[in-house]
Amino acid sequence: MSAVAPKVDAVRVDDRGIWFRSTADDVVDVCFDGRRVWSFWLQRDSDPSAGGRLTAWPGALTRFLDGSTRLSLVAHVSGVTLYDEDVVLGSGEGRIAVVSPEGKPLGLDKSNRISQTFDTRTPEQVAPLLDSIEQVLAAIRDAGVEAFLAYGTLLGAVRQGALIGHDSDADLGYVSRHSHPVDVMLESFRLQRHLTGLGYDTYRYSGIAFKVDVIESDGFRRGLDVFGGFIAEPVGDQPPMLYLMGEIGAPFELDWIYPLTTATLEGRELPVPALPEKLLVATYGPGWRVPDPAYHFHTARPTVLRLNGWFRGIRVLRSEWERKHSSNRDKPVPAEPSGLARYVAEHEGVPGQVVDLGAGRGGDALWFARQGASVTALDFVPRAAAKACEAAGAEGLDLAAREVNLLSLRSTLAEGARLAHTPGPRTIMARHLVDATVPAGRAGAWRLCEMALRDGGRLYLDFWSGEGQRRHEGQLLAAVPMDVVAAELEERGAVIVHREETLVERAPEKHGRPLARMVAQWQR
Amino acid sequence: MAEVRKRPRAGLRRRVVDAVGGGLVGELLTRIDELEAEVQENRNLNLRVAELVDLVQELLIPVASQDRDKIEAALAKFQRSL
Repeated sequence: MSAVAPKVDAVRVDDRGIWFRSTADDVVDVCFDGRRVWSFWLQRDSDPSAGGRLTAWPGALTRFLDGSTRLSLVAHVSGVTLYDEDVVLGSGEGRIAVVSPEGKPLGLDKSNRISQTFDTRTPEQVAPLLDSIEQVLAAIRDAGVEAFLAYGTLLGAVRQGALIGHDSDADLGYVSRHSHPVDVMLESFRLQRHLTGLGYDTYRYSGIAFKVDVIESDGFRRGLDVFGGFIAEPVGDQPPMLYLMGEIGAPFELDWIYPLTTATLEGRELPVPALPEKLLVATYGPGWRVPDPAYHFHTARPTVLRLNGWFRGIRVLRSEWERKHSSNRDKPVPAEPSGLARYVAEHEGVPGQVVDLGAGRGGDALWFARQGASVTALDFVPRAAAKACEAAGAEGLDLAAREVNLLSLRSTLAEGARLAHTPGPRTIMARHLVDATVPAGRAGAWRLCEMALRDGGRLYLDFWSGEGQRRHEGQLLAAVPMDVVAAELEERGAVIVHREETLVERAPEKHGRPLARMVAQWQR
Repeated sequence: MAEVRKRPRAGLRRRVVDAVGGGLVGELLTRIDELEAEVQENRNLNLRVAELVDLVQELLIPVASQDRDKIEAALAKFQRSL
């Protein structure tokens, strides 16, 4: 990347993407009617095509590409315009507008996620974000931890005293005084507890990172990420290493961070590390001063292994299920019970207490509540059951929806204890939970069931079975052999009282799909 | 979880080294994979230990009180903080 514009020839723009001839590699902004909506690297983000290179439109942008626009390609660093023409995409009607449903301008950030990037916002519009940063920093300080601006927010403050135009969120970080991963996580848990105690909604990403939701003055719900880090004790002749979630592993000294100093961000003095350049080199490499709106982290393998091993693993598949439920948001709660719910009712009548584990939208939970059961709907996306809860509230039914994360011991054990705390037998049903999670999630589920069924009752399962499937990217349900599930349950002391596999018909030319139904109980 | 790129395992150079080393290189690479997996298994314990210590620390005192309402409230508060 340099201040000299790259040579780019023969640009053609169509519905597939942007085709060009160039041997240079540089980062280029794509502007529609003069406003940046996306940036890409000429070589890294393109493929050979018909004697040139083709960079395909990113998925997040395609839904907007219908109409005409003045499309320009501008070399990001030199600011030189490489191409500037009227183009027509899709049906060609109207003007292309990359905006939110409320009409707010959108762009792609460095990870090609569509968002309201800072370059479209006025100083008045970013003021609530700065207020939120100050508010959360103060709350963290109140808990005895000195946090500072990190990642792109630190970069913007140090490089230009302003938020980076192509960025869309703000990041905070801190370096723990502890040096053992367990102590560092306990501190992060304590910090999160302190913030929830103050009334903030929080969301944990890993053992040392979480998000704090702040409601800004314009009503916008802003998530600020709080990344924990620590300096690992030197081993042998090795230097002390800083590990900061989620990308940093570098030789470092604690006094490069503390005592904190300040830098100006959008006219406000905010805390930054004592030597911020040192952290920026550790984050972005020695070229951190040169802007790159399409920056990709190349985190070293040993760092990824360490951060994964120590701190990660509690939100596998969670984003995928959140997206799925987000797209289901406007759908009504299923009115009819599932086959599994009917089967439970046939064999148990209407149980006094029902737990729907992996309740999703809560259709079965609501149906059992309507039959008179006391129902607990558990899911790691609890907002998916919001409509069912609303209906239950309006009808005066006994339905509670709670969040449980089967990959977190704290969550699983606390929920198991809470359920077991109400005496009496209960029925647990888990429809398409086995195939929706990973082996560690199933282990958490069986642990929870063993606790919750301490006073008796049965566990009813439905899941896609047959031959085991390796889950491919984006796949939500992956079949698990019935024998595997039976062995896991028996290992935890359960007795399988019923198991069957039926073929569910699909399209005429396709084979039926095996669906397992299993009933288990724990004998005391 | 962030992806970890696998080391390239095949290729001409590797086959030559294998032929010269009489399979020793292959054995050592397998052993490195096993050791890496074992290191990761050990690292995974950190999160489990931290979760357990946190849970015990936060809930032991209310549980020791044997007061049903206090236990219920402590469990609910603990869950809200996760």
